[in-house]
Amino acid sequence: MTEQENVCETRIRFKFYKKDEFKYLSHLDISRIMIRAIRRAELEIKYSQGYNPKPKIGFSPPTPLGVESMAEYADVLLEGNIDERTFKKKLNSELKPQMLISEARIITEKTENLMNAAAVVLYGFELHICSSDNKGMPGRFYTGLKKDLTTGPDFCNSIFDLKIITAEGSSDIILLKLFGYVKIFKEENNEIFKFNNFYGFFENWLKKYCIDIKNVKKEELFVLCGGILKTPMEVV
Amino acid sequence: MDKIKRLDSDLLGRLLKDIEKPGRYINNEIGTKSKSPGTMEDFQDLILMALVFPDIYEVGMSNLGLQILYEIINKHKCFSAERVFSPWIDFEEKLRKEKVKIFSLENRIFLDSFDLIGFTVQHEFLYTNILNILDMGGIGIRAVDRRNRFPLVCAGGPAIVNPQPLSRFMDFFVIGDGEEVVISILQRVKKYRENNKDKNWFLKEISRLDGIYIPGFYRFYYYPDGRIKSIEPGEKVKKAVIKNLNEFQIVQDPIIPNIKTVHDRFAVEIMRGCSRGCRFCQAGIIYRPVRKREVGSLVRQCIAGLKKTGYDEISFLSLSSSDYGEIGHLLDKITDPSKHGRLSISMPSMRLDSLNLKLFELIQSGRKTGLTFAPEAGSQRMRNIINKNIEEKEMLDCIKMAFSSGWDKIKLYFMIGLPYENDKDIHEITLLVEKIIMAARERLSGKKLARLKINISINVFCPKPFTPFQWVSHDNPGNLDSKFDYILKNVSKRYVNINWTDSKKSRIECALARGNERVGEVIESAWKKGARFDNWTDFFKLSVWEEEFVKAGLDIDLFTRKFSVDEILPWDIIDIGVSKDFLLKEYDRARECL
Repeated sequence: MTEQENVCETRIRFKFYKKDEFKYLSHLDISRIMIRAIRRAELEIKYSQGYNPKPKIGFSPPTPLGVESMAEYADVLLEGNIDERTFKKKLNSELKPQMLISEARIITEKTENLMNAAAVVLYGFELHICSSDNKGMPGRFYTGLKKDLTTGPDFCNSIFDLKIITAEGSSDIILLKLFGYVKIFKEENNEIFKFNNFYGFFENWLKKYCIDIKNVKKEELFVLCGGILKTPMEVV
Repeated sequence: MDKIKRLDSDLLGRLLKDIEKPGRYINNEIGTKSKSPGTMEDFQDLILMALVFPDIYEVGMSNLGLQILYEIINKHKCFSAERVFSPWIDFEEKLRKEKVKIFSLENRIFLDSFDLIGFTVQHEFLYTNILNILDMGGIGIRAVDRRNRFPLVCAGGPAIVNPQPLSRFMDFFVIGDGEEVVISILQRVKKYRENNKDKNWFLKEISRLDGIYIPGFYRFYYYPDGRIKSIEPGEKVKKAVIKNLNEFQIVQDPIIPNIKTVHDRFAVEIMRGCSRGCRFCQAGIIYRPVRKREVGSLVRQCIAGLKKTGYDEISFLSLSSSDYGEIGHLLDKITDPSKHGRLSISMPSMRLDSLNLKLFELIQSGRKTGLTFAPEAGSQRMRNIINKNIEEKEMLDCIKMAFSSGWDKIKLYFMIGLPYENDKDIHEITLLVEKIIMAARERLSGKKLARLKINISINVFCPKPFTPFQWVSHDNPGNLDSKFDYILKNVSKRYVNINWTDSKKSRIECALARGNERVGEVIESAWKKGARFDNWTDFFKLSVWEEEFVKAGLDIDLFTRKFSVDEILPWDIIDIGVSKDFLLKEYDRARECL
């Protein structure tokens, strides 16, 4: 590619979080807030052609209302040349501390859009054991969890993998990492990972082990690249 | 002064679990301006005002007046204003169940910790929400029950130009433009607090300001039939007016809501007041005189505002935008032809005729969303009576032109129950709609014709204080229903959608709008019976309102009847800037059209 061809537009993929109060904002709210911040930062976003021009920006699949996310992604097409650092700095100065860009990278090669490419999502749960008799509980819970979540009819179509880590310094806290499919039955039924339904089911199911969900957070998003899970940043 | 109390942020998190649209309650928008002192002690040095909009967040945040006052107060280093809205039903239930008082958005300060609580009241059906908010704040709803020096409670806005229905609940009212008087009030609140004066001292102090009505200083005497015999003292309260709108810049960095609101755009008031003289219109009188913003500085402020907010839509507000002389120039300077279609412009209350249809097309930049016309009445006779200066031919020409250039959605506003209305006037509404359909058949191709949609909104006329029609009677529900039925039966359904207001609800609205201080008793008891969000059809409790009027020994007809021109009206204590003689003359001129 020659230099002249390179000057007129920049495609950037960026990662941002929404935490604290901003977990109560919907996907549409978040995208509206982001687009307005881009305009305030005087980053010239490109628009589609036609009667009703739309800004060229695409977001990763929605995170449910009330859940914090460390892994929201968006691809944006900007006028002119801009480097990642300036982009991040300019945009962050127009955003609230509850929602900031953590990483930005220029897209040089053609990539699939985030909504379609997203394959697996990682949710981190902080679980609290409520019963007084904790001994052996993590073990029993783990066996039950593995069995019900990966083979039980309510969950197995949603869960790709899971990991359990015992929190340091406290035997009452279990950190559960759940890798869920973003789309269930990709070909037949293009449903986005129904986290809200799952959350309700899961919360009820936990009762039999006297375990409460203390906190839940979307930690990462993965795309499939040559049969391997990679983060959206790793593929650009 | 008592210690200021706030809601703990962890508790807010727990309260918001399973609450619909939690984004309403979380603050943290771009553009908030309340002071955020480091410690609770620092708050003690500030005069704290709660700006309360007694409706949900999405409605309140769409109100420009709230943003204007918020900015003016917070610019002042000694004062801090925070916002409070009505919580939705689910959150109210939660707060009451958990025994948590209502709190402001910015610093989550409980309502009873404020020095001054100011309600902005846009329409009569918000009255019960006001009582509900006071009650949720643990504050006595009646002024006489509030023995403590703080908080002080006041109200302003278009729905309190007749303050009587709310008079028992308020320490004082602010009539007219709030920009200047709000600061004068807060300066006196500061003095009152620092010098430890009593409430009466404070009220006397502010009573010298324009626009301040203090119900406690007046007595009303009644005839046995409920009409007012006299008001003492008789001296009127003069409306507060800002002479020059240009001395107050537009709000260039408003609070930008995080969630979608009713009007989610950059709002600019280009003109206050209206030079048209529609005889039914209250806004046309109470916002007088007409004051225009100078176009040069307006353009600069708009451009700065769009840059600061990142909005892609701007709304030019006034009561009649096409009467703003330099509207073409304004649009020209705001829109950048190289960025076609990226900035949407909305201009409510634009009078459409064939001349400015082109202008309107420019505004819509190619999008043909829909055209709105407000003929208000079907017959020329009736339009003359109400002084709505719109000729049928002119309107039809414009509609024809619109059809020819591809518009296929038309919205029409009519009123029924207007004074001196007869069957022929109602019939002519149906004729006008037929003529529009005919015009569409002539000008729209088969495919387009199939898409034709004419939305008709039929509102019941409700006589309002300070209009030339303030004396006329509210049409009775039986009549109104048969007029509405006639229209429904005689308008072709194929292309037409009709919606209407409930005639019985409108009767309650009239009784609230033209009520005296005793109506306050009804508002209080209706609220106790669960009335709130009365403007939402699903929540409006007609039977509760009707029963409570009966229980209070008040006949609704006392307020909906025809008033005699020489009787004392509940709102006569207010000088709105337009004399009663002028209104009477206009009333006479309406009758001359018969």
